[in-house]
Amino acid sequence: MGLGFTVGAIGILILSHAAYSTIQYRGLLKILEEEFSGPPLNVVAELLIGLVLCMYAGLCVPGKFLSIHPDSDENRIVSLPANVDFMVFNHRGKVFPSETNLKLKC
Amino acid sequence: MDVSAKKSSDELDVPTFSAENLQSNMKIIYYSRTFLSIVAGVIAGVLGFTSLTGFVFYFLIMAITSVGLAAKAKFTVHAYFDSWNRVTLDGFLSGLMSFVLFWTFAYDIVHIF
Repeated sequence: MGLGFTVGAIGILILSHAAYSTIQYRGLLKILEEEFSGPPLNVVAELLIGLVLCMYAGLCVPGKFLSIHPDSDENRIVSLPANVDFMVFNHRGKVFPSETNLKLKC
Repeated sequence: MDVSAKKSSDELDVPTFSAENLQSNMKIIYYSRTFLSIVAGVIAGVLGFTSLTGFVFYFLIMAITSVGLAAKAKFTVHAYFDSWNRVTLDGFLSGLMSFVLFWTFAYDIVHIF
């Protein structure tokens, strides 16, 4: 969250600074009475840097993708119940046939 | 015979995946696309693009975004989404709306006023 957010804020600041320098450039052109043909090179470079920073932020800030496969590593249930010390398996129930087809309810 | 046929039809059934995780992935994609189309709109406005050039620029940025999202999914898209269209197409039109809004906004501020 922190790093990507900061990078995005810097990118937006750079973009607004590029917009501001374009406004200034147009004011200069108005004084010189020339036509606007395209933004100056430093504005283009600034926009590119801002785009790269915002691209990084836009891809990183929203969060990580989660796997949709039910049997992938991060979707497995690995936590054990807290009372595992009190479980006893050596009791008379083991002589009964156990149901092996039981499934966990999701 | 009957049992095996039933089993195979079960296996051929719709592949199961966690809908919650898929939805959260889709939300992440929408966030990324909306933010990047706004940024693309501001850039297109500052550069002074008009008419077709701006839309070509939008397509370019969205293509780069799709590649970035695929790279974020480590290019194993089927582990995170059920089809490629989720990565490449979803959120395209709604992004276009915000792109046009911010494009005209930035163009007006920089070039007209």
